[in-house]
Amino acid sequence: MGANIYKNKKPALIFMIPAFLFMIVYLYYPFFMNIFNSFQQIKTLGGTSKGMIDPWYWNYAEMFRDVNVGVSLKNTLIMMLVTLLGQVGMAILLAIMVDNVKHLKGFFKTVYFFPIVVSATALGLLFNLIFLYDKGMLNQLLETFGRTELIDWKAEGIALFTMMLPVMWQYVGFYFVILITGLNNISDELYEAAYIDGCTTIQKVRYISLPLLRNVICTCSVLAVTGALKVFDLPWTMFPKGMPLKTTFLTGTYMYYQTMEAKNVDYGSALAVLIVVLGFVLSKVVNAIFKETDY
Amino acid sequence: MKKALVMLLTGAMVLSLAACGNSVDDGADASTTDTAVEAPAEDEADEAAEVEAPAEPAAPVELNVTTTFAGEDGNAANFKAAVDAWCAETGNTVADTSATSDETFKTRVITDFETGSEPDVLFFFNGADSNSFIEAGKVVSLDEIRAEYPDFASNMNDDLIADSLVDGKKYAIPVNGYWEAMFCNMEVLNAAGVSLPGANYTMDDFKADCQKIKDAGYTPIACALGNIPHYWWEFAIFNNQSPANHLEIPSVEEDSAWVAGMNDIKELYELGYFPDNTLSATDDETFAMFTEGKAAFLIDGSWKVGGIVAACQTDAEDASTIDQAKLSNFDVTYVPGKGDRKATDLIGGLSMGYYITKKAWDDPDKRAAAVSFVSYMTSDEIIPVFAQHTASALKNAPTVDETKFNSLQIKAMKMMSGTTSLTGAVQDLFQGDCRVTTFDGMPEIVTGKVSAEDAVAEGLQTYYDAQ
Repeated sequence: MGANIYKNKKPALIFMIPAFLFMIVYLYYPFFMNIFNSFQQIKTLGGTSKGMIDPWYWNYAEMFRDVNVGVSLKNTLIMMLVTLLGQVGMAILLAIMVDNVKHLKGFFKTVYFFPIVVSATALGLLFNLIFLYDKGMLNQLLETFGRTELIDWKAEGIALFTMMLPVMWQYVGFYFVILITGLNNISDELYEAAYIDGCTTIQKVRYISLPLLRNVICTCSVLAVTGALKVFDLPWTMFPKGMPLKTTFLTGTYMYYQTMEAKNVDYGSALAVLIVVLGFVLSKVVNAIFKETDY
Repeated sequence: MKKALVMLLTGAMVLSLAACGNSVDDGADASTTDTAVEAPAEDEADEAAEVEAPAEPAAPVELNVTTTFAGEDGNAANFKAAVDAWCAETGNTVADTSATSDETFKTRVITDFETGSEPDVLFFFNGADSNSFIEAGKVVSLDEIRAEYPDFASNMNDDLIADSLVDGKKYAIPVNGYWEAMFCNMEVLNAAGVSLPGANYTMDDFKADCQKIKDAGYTPIACALGNIPHYWWEFAIFNNQSPANHLEIPSVEEDSAWVAGMNDIKELYELGYFPDNTLSATDDETFAMFTEGKAAFLIDGSWKVGGIVAACQTDAEDASTIDQAKLSNFDVTYVPGKGDRKATDLIGGLSMGYYITKKAWDDPDKRAAAVSFVSYMTSDEIIPVFAQHTASALKNAPTVDETKFNSLQIKAMKMMSGTTSLTGAVQDLFQGDCRVTTFDGMPEIVTGKVSAEDAVAEGLQTYYDAQ
């Protein structure tokens, strides 16, 4: 009897049914409905369709004509690079530095991880105040150093930088924690042996820490690139409607804009399909590039 | 017919200014603000009770109510007090999901109707924005309500209740009207040597004044073109039309006044009269520039009076903390005119009202409560509290007590008494997605990335495609 409970898979299947149904209702059904809606004429969210759009591929053809799609794709790719280099790169630096300090490790871990627990919308509002044109923190600071003219941190030329800086800052702590855990798993004996051989700290990092962190860095890179595709709330809070001049749209914010603001739900659905396809392709590419290796 | 309506509306507005000083015994502490009013006389209270009498529900119910009396709306506190008073009087409760009036709010309401989660009572626009749920038969007409409750909204002048664009029936019972005009920061005008614009103010005068203000180191116009260009959009078009034809939407092919209006805004942008960050700023930021004495002119609606007054208070929630000297720096006047539109021809009217939804009407527990709620909110005692310095549709306006108003409200009343016409906003007829190319697209128009002709034509094409 005792052994039979491991052979009988029915109870496990029964327990899986609720989660399976949940996924069907709240993920797969909306997903396929979204594809269906991208071929319909729907103006408002929840609104009834006025029939199939003519021609049926109109929304997908429109993506090639729509300059904002190009802008949002370009910005999303830049965002991926920023997250890869800025978030993961910065996290590696911080993790290695914190790993090398003797005191206050816990304190630094908490400090760097803290932005993760703050809502992105709240962070967006916070950074809005920092980058505010008139009486913003940054402009006031520059004023104390003698600058007389205000800088519009959200102007066309630098808006993208202003948007990506807080996004990068927010998630550094997330990768930092993963990497520092990876560093903790490296045996102290290796470092002791390197010390006896006369290695400098930089050599220890170069020849021990980084090679042994490779798989962790790969995991972080995959998470960062795929995560960049989903960034929405902070950019939207700081730069609603792609402000200024629709130059700050990301794929996610542009899809939201078309759906909620421009009242073009069918086109928003088509953009959502594009995001899914893009996410699928990019995750495959990134997985191939950052393939984990066995030691 | 339109002229008669304008005259009626203007008349009603002037009469109802009187109402501002009166209040209702709301059972709560509605006596602390400038617009708070005294308890009605006994006979008035009896009349109000008569209106409500047939509408009392058998057992307490919870009504879901959505309005725009929230956020910075000057009537947010009045609404809360009135809701509390109605709940105390009837024993019912209200689940209030009011929100600031913007495009997101409109989308939310329309989506709620389409998904079957609409509120029981709704305070919403009576123009094209309401077409979808009226077409779907999801709200109840005034005639239908009166068939069962003959006294419902009997205190209203029916001629001033807007007809639906869908079927010509009346659905929304109005409370307070609105006007759009030009607020001035006199501190800035004085510093630049510019006097308060008057009734004969033209666009040429305006441009000359803007240049003086700019030369004096101030920003002439407080407006976030990348966020809320709505008021400038409306008046720029109006300036190339007249009150007689402003509400006519041009054809796509026409070289319309709309294109000329967009180009007028572009000219002001190129002259550098908008804030340096007008394309990247929010409306809150440019409004702060105005109230903090960095910008001179602000075109906005009557609801902004409350916002300016709040900006002059050390505690935005406490009217007793108002800095009267600071408030005296603000004035309100006519929007510069051009061509056939005189400066005194303003945008305004009764664009919103209370709807009772079919969902509440068909619910035997909620029908009477919904009628009672709307009757209370549109009673002779409550409407004056909300209408303040704007119009209402009441048949009998109460007497005025100007001592109950702050200085900006009195200036607004004086300004409105010189109005030659009030015309509705054409953007209320021009549904959401049509506006995208000229509202969200305003930065592209003023920077020349998209021509005004193309942007207007695309918006109009969207409009006619949807007809």
